[in-house]
Amino acid sequence: MATIQLDKLVKRFGRQVAVNELTLEIQDREFVAILGPSGCGKTTTMNMISGLLKPDSGTVSFDGKVMNAVPPGKRGVGFMFQNYAVFTYLSVYDNIAFGLRIRKMASQDVDHEVREVARLLQIHHLLSMPASNLSINDMQKVALARSMVVKPQIFLLDEPLSNLDAALRNVMRAELKKIQQELGQTTVYVTHDQVEAMSLADRIAVMNFAVLQQYDTPHNIYNRPKNLFVANFIGSPTINFFEGIYRSGEFDLQDFTTGKVVVSKENRNAVDECVRGERIVLGIRPEHLKIGTSKQQGASGLRAKVVSFEPLGSKTIVYMHPDGNLKTIVKSSMESDYKPEIGSVMNLIFQEKDLYLFDEKSTELVMRFGS
Amino acid sequence: MEQKLYPRVLKFFLVVVVTILFFFPIYWIFSMAFKPFPEWTAAAGKIYWVPNNPTLDNFRAIFSPKLEMSPISGTAIRPIINSLTVSIIGTAIAMVVGIFAAYGISRYKAGGNLPFMLLQLRMFPPIAIIIPIMIMWAFLRMIDTWYGLVIIYGVVTLPFSVWLMKTFFDDIPRELDEAAIVDGCSNVGAFFKVVMPLAKGGIASTALFVFILNWSDFLIALILTDRRWTTIPVHISKLQSAMVGALYGPKAALGMIAAIPPIVFGIIIQKYLVRGLTFGAIKK
Repeated sequence: MATIQLDKLVKRFGRQVAVNELTLEIQDREFVAILGPSGCGKTTTMNMISGLLKPDSGTVSFDGKVMNAVPPGKRGVGFMFQNYAVFTYLSVYDNIAFGLRIRKMASQDVDHEVREVARLLQIHHLLSMPASNLSINDMQKVALARSMVVKPQIFLLDEPLSNLDAALRNVMRAELKKIQQELGQTTVYVTHDQVEAMSLADRIAVMNFAVLQQYDTPHNIYNRPKNLFVANFIGSPTINFFEGIYRSGEFDLQDFTTGKVVVSKENRNAVDECVRGERIVLGIRPEHLKIGTSKQQGASGLRAKVVSFEPLGSKTIVYMHPDGNLKTIVKSSMESDYKPEIGSVMNLIFQEKDLYLFDEKSTELVMRFGS
Repeated sequence: MEQKLYPRVLKFFLVVVVTILFFFPIYWIFSMAFKPFPEWTAAAGKIYWVPNNPTLDNFRAIFSPKLEMSPISGTAIRPIINSLTVSIIGTAIAMVVGIFAAYGISRYKAGGNLPFMLLQLRMFPPIAIIIPIMIMWAFLRMIDTWYGLVIIYGVVTLPFSVWLMKTFFDDIPRELDEAAIVDGCSNVGAFFKVVMPLAKGGIASTALFVFILNWSDFLIALILTDRRWTTIPVHISKLQSAMVGALYGPKAALGMIAAIPPIVFGIIIQKYLVRGLTFGAIKK
């Protein structure tokens, strides 16, 4: 049993605010990912949970008990570092046994625990090897084993997969998820990789500039991003944004010469209510934006010129300039066999339910048409 | 691909020249130590490149008990003991203080500008500070005592040990200490259990360096000692007689002996010297 509560955590380094008024509640056995670009404060947050850093103000509580004054070793957390921090002067066995020995566990118990966790991670054949001879893959497993062996209530993982190559990363991702489900610790996972966060986490905390942007399930983060930053950060390729003005039932988009998007009758009232200022940003994800000729059904009348395309196998990403602005890029995700002609002017096709409506000034999501 | 002959010959030639340049003084001391008086004295009128009649007379002259009428006989033993004593204790002081100071500076940015000021200490010409120190030491009655020398040796070599150790500690990833702390170590425990074993090579090579500095010091020992606590370098300078002037043979003999401890020390820690340059806990 372990829940984590962060209450108005603040941490400054000199003048720079690394984490600002962070409030977060993590349920027992929950897998939470802290996601954000580098320098957003996610590792600082992690270090405050583990106790390696003391918050300037605010509290860290486990199960309702304030932990601020408890030293890291007494908090019952397992910590896995981005660069693994394996003690290379020790053998694999001694590395895994390190935490148990510090806790003064009897040596036959240490042996039992070490072998069990080594078997679980399939590194039992390496136990007698010096840790300095390990491959990066095995080193990562040793680091994982070392933090697991003390049976922490809370598991903190700081970008554990970022040093691995792509293929291995997928394997380890699946493995991590399996282990977490088997052992059922509360897990906090720091990453800048949205795929890792989306695939692993029960809930994602998106951070930027030291501030928590949104804390929600992967589904909601994707479908109901709270603001422009979250919408832009999640999804690959990134979402398309079009700035414009809302006036009497129409979005007038400045990037398009023919840029009018008319709001349907049933949504008209809702939009009228939501939009406060005039200036808005319309968002649409590339996977919801198709291209075709003006005769096709759902054609919006917005036109764009094809600049390039990337056939990715499972899909083809088409890059275009809107006809009114050659600096903006419009991305569309099409079927894998789609081959546009470079330079051709195409019509953008999308459905109203896939639109995201943001307020330009506050950058907040004001309305989601569908779902 | 095979290198062309000409650059290879040139390279080889340069290596030989530099090697001779470096090793000649060592060879000269070595050969002089075994030359009899007629061969090392300037009065011989010619240079003996190798000892024609190798002898241990020079060693006898400085080590044999005072039986002969020579004023230098048997005088070398005490300076050797003195040098060992003050160099070892001075090195120990510089290392113990230096390790902790360097760790504090490396991990906790302790001391603000102090580390740099410490380095500036080395930029003073030693002669500028040694005279005031001599006066202070005279007041404190620390002239010609082992602790008078040891304190100065520890302090003078401290900047070196701090800065060298700091670079070694900087190379040890912080995450290693942190991992140990999360595993339940105290800060001090993490230092001894994780950082120290990894810094062994650095500590050993720094200790050797500091020891050589102390061992070869002439100026400080010359000014702060008088009789009982003269060290080898000072004693070498004193080996002369009214009749023949500088006694180069005995000087060379003592010099050769003085070269032994650093070499032995170096061989003992050789393993760590190599490791000190290659350790690294993390795959990048």
